[in-house]
Amino acid sequence: MSTTAERRAVVSTPGATPDKDWVIVTRGLKREYDMGGEVVRALRGVDIAIRRNEYVAIMGPSGSGKSTLMNLIGCLDTPNGGEYWLNGMLVSKMSDDQLARVRNKEIGFVFQTFNLLPRATALHNVELPLVYAGVSSDERKRRAKAALAAVQLDNRMHHRPNELSGGQRQRVAIARALVNEPSILLADEPTGNLDSATSTEIMKVFEELASTGQTVIMVTHEPDIAAHARRVVVLRDGLVASDDKRATFKQQMGLP
Amino acid sequence: MQYRDVIATALGQIAANKLRSFFTLLGIIVSVTFLIAVLAIIQGMNVYVQDNVAGAMIGTNTFQVRRSPINITRFADDDLDRIARRPIISKTDAAVVREVMPDAEAVSMQSGWPTPIADVTWRGRTVGDALVLGVTAPYQTVQDYRIAQGRPLTDIDEEERRAVVVLGADLAEKLFEEVDPVGKDVRLLGEWFTVIGVNARKGQVLGQSFDGFVLMPLSRFEMIYGRRNTTTVSVKVASAEEVAPAMARVEEALRVARHLRPTQDSNFSLETSDALVDFWRTLTRVLFAIVPAIVSIGIVVGGIVIMNIMLMSVTERTHEIGIRKAMGARARDIERQFLVEAIVLATLGGLLGVLSGWSMASAVAAASPLPARVTTWSVVLALSLGAGVGVAFGVYPARRAARLDPISAMRAE
Repeated sequence: MSTTAERRAVVSTPGATPDKDWVIVTRGLKREYDMGGEVVRALRGVDIAIRRNEYVAIMGPSGSGKSTLMNLIGCLDTPNGGEYWLNGMLVSKMSDDQLARVRNKEIGFVFQTFNLLPRATALHNVELPLVYAGVSSDERKRRAKAALAAVQLDNRMHHRPNELSGGQRQRVAIARALVNEPSILLADEPTGNLDSATSTEIMKVFEELASTGQTVIMVTHEPDIAAHARRVVVLRDGLVASDDKRATFKQQMGLP
Repeated sequence: MQYRDVIATALGQIAANKLRSFFTLLGIIVSVTFLIAVLAIIQGMNVYVQDNVAGAMIGTNTFQVRRSPINITRFADDDLDRIARRPIISKTDAAVVREVMPDAEAVSMQSGWPTPIADVTWRGRTVGDALVLGVTAPYQTVQDYRIAQGRPLTDIDEEERRAVVVLGADLAEKLFEEVDPVGKDVRLLGEWFTVIGVNARKGQVLGQSFDGFVLMPLSRFEMIYGRRNTTTVSVKVASAEEVAPAMARVEEALRVARHLRPTQDSNFSLETSDALVDFWRTLTRVLFAIVPAIVSIGIVVGGIVIMNIMLMSVTERTHEIGIRKAMGARARDIERQFLVEAIVLATLGGLLGVLSGWSMASAVAAASPLPARVTTWSVVLALSLGAGVGVAFGVYPARRAARLDPISAMRAE
């Protein structure tokens, strides 16, 4: 496991390529929005380093910049300043096409609102990242079926999202996120639209993935969901307020 | 992303909105239908002229020696002036042709253009608008006339300038009804003529009867209309292959007879039925140029409708575009998807238009004697017009879709 000192060493040497173990390294990451003349500084210099196989929750109140950070980590957006290294690649300097490629190969998204194609079957939804990866049709089908089987949905392959329950939809989304074997699984409030029983079910899936070595980064504002993670980063006003391993975080939150 | 996937996605999208797609394509379908049907009908008329009219007017395996060419539309004024100064085709010329073509099936002379029209009267009954042709006896062989009643014109009729006529089937029927016309005297151009025969029916071409004429000996015709008029010499040979060498022989012989130097152009014209077909083609070529131009207007309007629908589709599917981008679709993948969708849509319109135009052409062919023909090139033209419209009007919506920002696109519902 990493130590805070080690992490500090990684994030405080601008320009240096991080060690292979570090999946994500951000150095002084900044993002500002121009909201009709008024500049909103959503991120004001975020330093985070995440190792391979970590299970991290990013928390914070609304307006803390956690969605902005999630968009930057997910390569859906580019920063105004600072560096973002993903798997040793300097993502913050990439073109839109390169970012699309990184999203396709390195990142598996799970969203609060599932974001499945409504008219496509579960199978086709899971195939989608492989379509953009240029995988042949047969290979796509094979891998998508395997991914659906891994989330126990092999019997719902040919159903459309509106024929599935919320939990099932989220599991389709997880299968879709994992089908390209990404470096990180990036989940944005994955249980936000689910009831508590289904939430537990989904969290169990994340738990299993993390235990098999999948790097998981989860953005949430619910402490009991964040409590599943082994490390919690709390943002406040566009800066990292605390970065703790699970034990200390639980103590702070007064959880068992 | 492979093209197969792009096209499959496009077809899926169109299939999901069948009715909307159909209405979107209506403009293109109607335009292409019109294009295909009209071109097929013109093409059919060309073929019809070639197969029926040309043969009926000039004769099969036959060429003519004429003073002026048949197809005069392609000549400039200078050329027309030169043609007007040409010597007439006379008996001397006919003799030259006869001498050089001893193996011909028939060499005939007929009165030249314009063919006079006259009223024919028998016992107070008059039939108007009869074409009066002065011909030598072999003309009947050239035209493959069959005698139904009486006898045909003979060389003796010609030599003796007899006042005799052979009637076309229509004319004979109108004038005599049930009576046998042979041996009756009819009045024509203020003179009396004896009917010696009636030709078998040739039939109609494009509603124009080929049986409404009066044939008389050329020598008698010249007594009425004068001897200084030009004639046309027709030469019939045994087979189609012999036509071209025979024409070469006749041209050379006539040039020699008329003392033309090698540098001079021939001052006569040799024509086969091809010339008649050519003449018709020059007329229809204009239509071939105008129809696609008119159709283009309809297609452009259809293209604008497609663009409109594609823009609407981009707005409706903003969320989907966001998801696709998050999953790794590049701007060019999205652009290609929407562009291909527009192209597939427009080409489908072209295809439906071809089908409906083709069935319209078939209906025309079934209901009329015109063998309306849908040609490959008109189908290719229609389909490439369709695809072209898809490209031209699909680019803008596709660019709009490709430029969408993934985050805000995913937020759209």
